[in-house]
Amino acid sequence: MKLETRDFGSVDIDEQKTIMMPSGMPGFPGMQRFVILEREESRPFLWYQCVDDPGLAFVIINPLLFKPDYSLDLTPAMKDMSWEEPEEGNLVVYAIVNASEGVPEKITANLIGPLVINTGKNEAVQMVISGSPYSHKQPIFQST
Amino acid sequence: MLVLARKVNESITIGDDVVIKVIGVEGMQVRLGIDAPRNVRVLRQEVYEKIREENLLSARGEAGAFIKAAGLLNTEDRSKK
Repeated sequence: MKLETRDFGSVDIDEQKTIMMPSGMPGFPGMQRFVILEREESRPFLWYQCVDDPGLAFVIINPLLFKPDYSLDLTPAMKDMSWEEPEEGNLVVYAIVNASEGVPEKITANLIGPLVINTGKNEAVQMVISGSPYSHKQPIFQST
Repeated sequence: MLVLARKVNESITIGDDVVIKVIGVEGMQVRLGIDAPRNVRVLRQEVYEKIREENLLSARGEAGAFIKAAGLLNTEDRSKK
């Protein structure tokens, strides 16, 4: 299937790989279908492109790459999504990245609103974590 | 906004299946118990707002910054090894 994307023009995607977010994302009601796009030159960043709105895309990253001790209780996400216990192995966690400052060095990642994707079911949920020691603006590059 | 006075152990119901009960009051803090179906997300508003704002900002990023940042990350990785 051809998909218009925010940053890469029109790309071919495998419709089977569409990820459903039944509860959407805070701030973007009604946006429920996404795909992950990967570009060689921007790894390890991945694009979380909305299928319902070509103009909407997020950049995501594996949080362990810059916060190796990041740990998360996935139970609330599993409950929200009615995912069963054995599926825990299919869950992948990404942090949503904020580059609104336009400077690479000021890029931050949101560690209290992680995206949890069930790769077996192609479903996802954005967790909202309260009372955690993590920041919603965790710098990716440690200032030295 | 509808304003209701409730005592400890009294509740309000919202729609057919959401019940909010006042569990206790200590000084400026109120403890609430919430019964809601699984598909109703119950969140502390300030955290939800933070994430909403962060999502709105994150949706604005431009690809160029990330290609540069990817370069920086890869350089950092190499320097660690």
